[in-house]
Amino acid sequence: MLPLRNPQHFGCLLFHVDTMPLIKWKNHQTENIEVSLMLSALQQRYGYDFSGYARASLKRRLMALTQYFEVAHLTELIPAMLYDEAVAQTVINSISVPASEFFRDGAVWKAVREIVLPGLASFPRINIWQSGCGGGEETYTLAILLHEAGLAKRARIYSSDINPAFLDDARAGCWSRRHLDDWRENYRKSGGKQDFEQYFVARDGEICIREELKQSIEFIQHNLVTDQVFKEVQWVVCRNVLIYFGQELQDSVLHLLSRSLERGGYLLLGHAEKIMQLTEHYPDLEELDDQAQLYRKKVCMIRSKVHDHL
Amino acid sequence: MTTYKLLVIGLSAGGYPLIKRILQALPKNYPLPVAIVAHLPGGDESNLAQLLDASAQLHVRMATDKQVLARGNVYLAPPGYHLLIEQNGDAPLAFALSVDEPVKSVRPSIDVLFDSAAEALETSLIAVLLSGANSDGAEGMATVKKLGGLGMVLDPRLSEFSTMPEAAIKRVEVDYVVSLDEIISLLLSVDEKS
Repeated sequence: MLPLRNPQHFGCLLFHVDTMPLIKWKNHQTENIEVSLMLSALQQRYGYDFSGYARASLKRRLMALTQYFEVAHLTELIPAMLYDEAVAQTVINSISVPASEFFRDGAVWKAVREIVLPGLASFPRINIWQSGCGGGEETYTLAILLHEAGLAKRARIYSSDINPAFLDDARAGCWSRRHLDDWRENYRKSGGKQDFEQYFVARDGEICIREELKQSIEFIQHNLVTDQVFKEVQWVVCRNVLIYFGQELQDSVLHLLSRSLERGGYLLLGHAEKIMQLTEHYPDLEELDDQAQLYRKKVCMIRSKVHDHL
Repeated sequence: MTTYKLLVIGLSAGGYPLIKRILQALPKNYPLPVAIVAHLPGGDESNLAQLLDASAQLHVRMATDKQVLARGNVYLAPPGYHLLIEQNGDAPLAFALSVDEPVKSVRPSIDVLFDSAAEALETSLIAVLLSGANSDGAEGMATVKKLGGLGMVLDPRLSEFSTMPEAAIKRVEVDYVVSLDEIISLLLSVDEKS
């Protein structure tokens, strides 16, 4: 094999470089190629398809890896990622983001207490699908809400994430104490009347969610890009996940979420995650609360839709 | 001659009266869409669109994910979300939101908006930094300048909270370090050229 690092072997190659028409590329455009190559490597080697993700924020997260791994260029990570699963896991973690908090956006959970929970109470069985559970903060937010509404025994929360590492964290349910003040304040804004800290036990300098609150939760690995509907549910919670997807992927995931909803069931998105013309594209969904981005799947199929099928 | 396609503005503490005056001055037919990241103390951002809309001639509103940018509009980053500009192939410029980690402890981050806008628009971008008590926007301004955009910073001597403009000027050489009146007349002269 040719020892490429030995400069004397470049002699004949260099001669051609002079005559090659090189197009001037700006670094940020070249970085876009690097992003594509990284995604291709991830997909071929590990089966994760991030190609439909919104590019600007994806690139920002990937470029942050160059500092973390102290490399000059993103593509220098490709060999490490291909052969070392730990590196790949770090890359996947950085792409599949989001850290959350308990009762993030208090006003949203206030609307949930007032609208969704009483509505759910009318269903004989309550299945909830929370997609994109991250570290589990929001999953246990749901568990606390159900507990306080007296619905915990009838309800089952299916909490999914693409990333198995996040699922392990979420199952463990332990966090640093330093978040506690913020979370307590969020809880209060959501209309919570209890002592928020009672839902945790202290362990090894951390706070861990009480075991009772884990009873109704099942953590499952689910990939919104490639996996299908797995259960009919009465409430879908998918907050701040769709904004990470490009238009096409966003459409297909919204279809998936809306298909998995029983009629009369609820859909909750991120509070600023207003999807352009959502109710026009999904006439089955009606908006209940614009500020919370809360929707409901209509109980009756609308007439025009029936005609479409005739 | 360069044709500008987008105006981005960053502000923090002390910035509200300044952005209000800028928006009062921009005419209804201003040729560029305007994107703003404002972090104000105490989560006051949620009413900001309404407040500014009341006195501006342009239509001021919160930006929405995947929304296509159109002239005649001023878009604000929603509280708690980073605001980014997406340029995908031949598709029109559109917004994207993210809840990625705060940058320099703030979200929305001026750096994030400026970086993404600079990459999407290169020389067709105008970036303005007003006033604030942290250094957000300095890195973003450096990206804007590196990619050939036009950069303006409010003269720190005229700013109540000068950390932000000072940090930007220290980080990178910008095109103008001037008073608010001069920023306004520069922004209006874009109108005449286009």
